[in-house]
Amino acid sequence: MTRTGTPDTSTDKKWFDELVLELRLQQVNGKAIGDTVASARELLADTGQSAEDAFGPAREYASSLELPRAPQYEWMRTALWPAMVGLLAFLLFTQAAAAWALSDLLLFSPAQLALLSAPVVAIALLPLYLAALVRRIWAVVALVVFGGLAGFLASVVAPTTRADAWLALDPVPWLVGCALVMVALSILLTVRSRRPGSGDEIIDPLADVSAGSSLGARVGMLVTNWMFPLFSLIMLGLTSLFR
Amino acid sequence: MRATLGFLALRALAAGPSYGYAIIGDLEQHGFGTIKGGTLYPLLTRYETAGLVVTEWRAGDGGPGRKYFALTDHGRAELARLSADWQRFADTSIRYLDPERPTKETSQ
Repeated sequence: MTRTGTPDTSTDKKWFDELVLELRLQQVNGKAIGDTVASARELLADTGQSAEDAFGPAREYASSLELPRAPQYEWMRTALWPAMVGLLAFLLFTQAAAAWALSDLLLFSPAQLALLSAPVVAIALLPLYLAALVRRIWAVVALVVFGGLAGFLASVVAPTTRADAWLALDPVPWLVGCALVMVALSILLTVRSRRPGSGDEIIDPLADVSAGSSLGARVGMLVTNWMFPLFSLIMLGLTSLFR
Repeated sequence: MRATLGFLALRALAAGPSYGYAIIGDLEQHGFGTIKGGTLYPLLTRYETAGLVVTEWRAGDGGPGRKYFALTDHGRAELARLSADWQRFADTSIRYLDPERPTKETSQ
């Protein structure tokens, strides 16, 4: 038996991308994913086969391995709930910032509140359709359009006078409160992401170093953690121009 | 074949630690055809989870690193048990299939 070298085709790259995605969706940890990928690469290098020929469809292969999975609700606690709270705080912050810029009260109508809560509900229900979402690009686009449309319609149905409003609130406490929630959340996420192994990066079993620990990955993680405060700051700067 | 592949793969490790391609080669050499990685690796992964085998990565010599699989004591015991079961089944089957064996008349 001879070793014929590592095939490096775009088809194989797509297959490995799908394999990693499927294992991630199954909540398999980064160390086990790295091991699985390295094992598959080892055999392909030995046989010279394509990944599809040697292992079959990536989705079926990932499923057949039956690798240990993290508790089902772990990612909801660590990722979903902070994202949802952050989004809610950000949406309220933008409404409060607009009212503050116009030296007006923060006015709400029931339809506006319903439309503002729509993206939050969509994120809360993410566990029900996450797998379908990541496998279909049109579904991602539809979700983004849905979120944008809900935000736009919320601004359309926003009451213009106090008499039309269902709720009339002083915007400053909401502005400060939402800002504090977003900053606290970002600090929490940053502290959590700095703990060793917290990112659950894919680890090459031979190199024993994480593939995702580069400077770019760390900066990306930092920007993600501080996304809502950053956008809020930009938003506040823009609305201040109209004050 | 699928039913027996499990203990055949364990048998391929009886002589000492081995890796995916060598296990496939050993089975092929002994007349079991070419086993695909998509069939062998899930099996070995389940055996690792069950404690029948342990694994160790070793750096490759000019090639890729290799994941070696080795039988544990539990794996050896399981191999012995499955081999004995298979032996009994094979003996029974051979006796039953023997054309010289007297057959019983079936009444309508």
